[in-house]
Amino acid sequence: MPPGVEYYCPCLSSTPHPPPSSLASSLYSFHPLHSLFFCEECDAVRCNRCVMVEVSGYYCPNCLFEVPSASVRAEKNRCARNCFMCPNCQNTLTVVASDPPDNGETRTSPIVLSAVGEPPFFLYCNHCRWDSAEVDMTFEKPTGLAAQLQKFEDSAPEALEFERLKEHFEPFLPAASSALARDIPGVVKYNPLTRSRSGRDRAAAKSEIPDYRARVEAGSSHGLASGSGGEVDVDFMKHLETAGEVASLEQRWVNSWTTSLHANDLKPLRIPLHSKKSKRCPSCRHILIKPEQKAQSVRFKIKLVAANYLPAITVSLPHARAAMEMIKRSSALNKSTSTAVAEEHAAAASGAMIAGKTYPFHLAFTNPLYDPIQVRLHVQRTLTPSSADGKQKAPFAVTLPSSAFPIAAFAEAWEYEDDEDMFGDEGDYDGARGTKDRDGRARPRTVGVLERRANVTVVGGEVVLGKEARGNIKFNMLVTYTYRSDDPEPENDDPTATPSKRGTQDKQPQMKTFSFYTVVELGNIIRREESKVDMDP
Amino acid sequence: MLRLKAYHRFRFPSEYYSLVLKAAMDNPIYYARAEYIETDTGNKVSRRATIAGPQNIILGGKTIIASGAIIRGDLRRTGPGHAVVISLGRYCLVGEGCVMRPPYKTYRGNFNYYPMKIGDHVHIGSNTVVEAATIGNHVDIGKNCVIGKFTIIKDCAKIADGTIVPPNTVIPAMSLFAGSPAQFVEDLPESTQEMVEAYTKNYYTRFQPMPTER
Repeated sequence: MPPGVEYYCPCLSSTPHPPPSSLASSLYSFHPLHSLFFCEECDAVRCNRCVMVEVSGYYCPNCLFEVPSASVRAEKNRCARNCFMCPNCQNTLTVVASDPPDNGETRTSPIVLSAVGEPPFFLYCNHCRWDSAEVDMTFEKPTGLAAQLQKFEDSAPEALEFERLKEHFEPFLPAASSALARDIPGVVKYNPLTRSRSGRDRAAAKSEIPDYRARVEAGSSHGLASGSGGEVDVDFMKHLETAGEVASLEQRWVNSWTTSLHANDLKPLRIPLHSKKSKRCPSCRHILIKPEQKAQSVRFKIKLVAANYLPAITVSLPHARAAMEMIKRSSALNKSTSTAVAEEHAAAASGAMIAGKTYPFHLAFTNPLYDPIQVRLHVQRTLTPSSADGKQKAPFAVTLPSSAFPIAAFAEAWEYEDDEDMFGDEGDYDGARGTKDRDGRARPRTVGVLERRANVTVVGGEVVLGKEARGNIKFNMLVTYTYRSDDPEPENDDPTATPSKRGTQDKQPQMKTFSFYTVVELGNIIRREESKVDMDP
Repeated sequence: MLRLKAYHRFRFPSEYYSLVLKAAMDNPIYYARAEYIETDTGNKVSRRATIAGPQNIILGGKTIIASGAIIRGDLRRTGPGHAVVISLGRYCLVGEGCVMRPPYKTYRGNFNYYPMKIGDHVHIGSNTVVEAATIGNHVDIGKNCVIGKFTIIKDCAKIADGTIVPPNTVIPAMSLFAGSPAQFVEDLPESTQEMVEAYTKNYYTRFQPMPTER
């Protein structure tokens, strides 16, 4: 694992404090910054696990047609135009005329436009060369194939049976409850049907539903296609020659009922629709993400992502970088460097650290706000099982700058335009690199603010590894930042109370504080004697 | 099971983006000053790249063509007049050993090449063959991919390393595709556009000539 920082979303726990990072389960509470959202109303971080997702529109991923939600149900969530999926490899199929020109160029141009070509037409896969003529499926017209195919799908005995079942149970399912279940997740649990089934009036409910008489007797292999485990299937399996004759699970489970085991019986499928989703805050129901109506637009009407509110943190290990440089240099100059040294460098380059040593690390904070902020860092002291029993102490100790440090405001003009600015501070890096050679000795300026440029501030920290330290160096860090709020009253519903990228107004500035937890992962600890064995990055 | 497997492989596609973030602090990517030609608009084209028919190729500016890339601007539509064969936007990267070839087909009995249009902030990994018709903005294509003829890739899509995209495929916006044949894996996060833009700009900034003292 490369060194990295992830941000905490408190949705999985009842306390605002994250679980100790030494627990494997803590992984699920931390997310990369770019996948998080920020609710201005609640002033809180939200993640993909806790937001409420709503479908805001359907589209076909192949023809990119935006399907109105009214017809989605009638078309069974699949594209009703000319988009089909190969049953063999799930690639998109193309419509081909059956009588290609005789000049032998069919292979290079499998698509023939409807203007040319002779009927019957069939579907052809560009990838695995499957074609629908194999399953006796040809079409008179190259258009409206989906309607023809859907007719075929709907006339399947299983589909008819399902329709009958639905009709049978329709009166017992109030239409309103299904609509409710669709709109509000979790309401399914309180569906009146399930409640009456499990509840006290079970017998009463049962008597209301008349007996269902199936079209086809269950278990009989006549009406239904093979694949239900009848003698036909046994016979087929007995005479199997290659595994390819059997349709794989992947090829069969796209259907909602049992289908034939024969690979050569597979039928083309209409392509399932995709959806655009809008996301809401789970507690205040304010919209966090609202995409534009157009299916292929990548813009959003509302987009409250955490990256616009919280400072981005990146971590780097100067010793790993120096080692990387060393490897490059030694491999470029002479290959005769002793393997032990080279291996040690390789281990260091992959981010491994040796127990009993002290390493510096850099944290770069990038301010996304239009106002300067003051940041203060705290390491979360946790009682790990080993430290709780008092016999062992924590495997490592982390030192961070204890005083608050400033980060300048974000300004569009700084956005990567002048190249000199980006690398103008090479000297600082070199200084940090140079200290590596005197590893373990006291150095000036390891902990503290190392560098400030544009809206980025780099601070240094230090980690002291115990002699017996093992495993991953990971610690929770509380980041508290203070920004100027334009809103004098925090109770006010004005959304400018949060650190949004809004222009400042002529109100009395007031300082506000926001804190969030992160987990910082620095890398693996290796013991010196094991360093040659344990080099697995 | 293919889909499941593919999903597992990209269970944490965010790793890619954390790498992107990490790269923001990384060292410059040095190249030998003599190898690259820099144009007025900031395009950097390797002398070791094969640029056929340069009069038919448009580079938007700040675009990098790495060494060993082959760009076939000579495969133009038949007929008189000037024809743009391949156009690339700003902040693009054509990786080492890439082949960019316009798609072709026989339509009504006439064999013809069709132009290829690529948007801004598009990175194409090394040794990838591209025969797409259209590639949108902020698209990231991995290394060792094959992008089939007349493929349409919409904005902010990502193609994982080693993906085979069959001809005529459409890849919708903000989706991750992987596998052979390429299949949808998952939707990318809403902030993809910003991430890719920052990454491509940063890549261009880091891509600089080796200082003479070294």
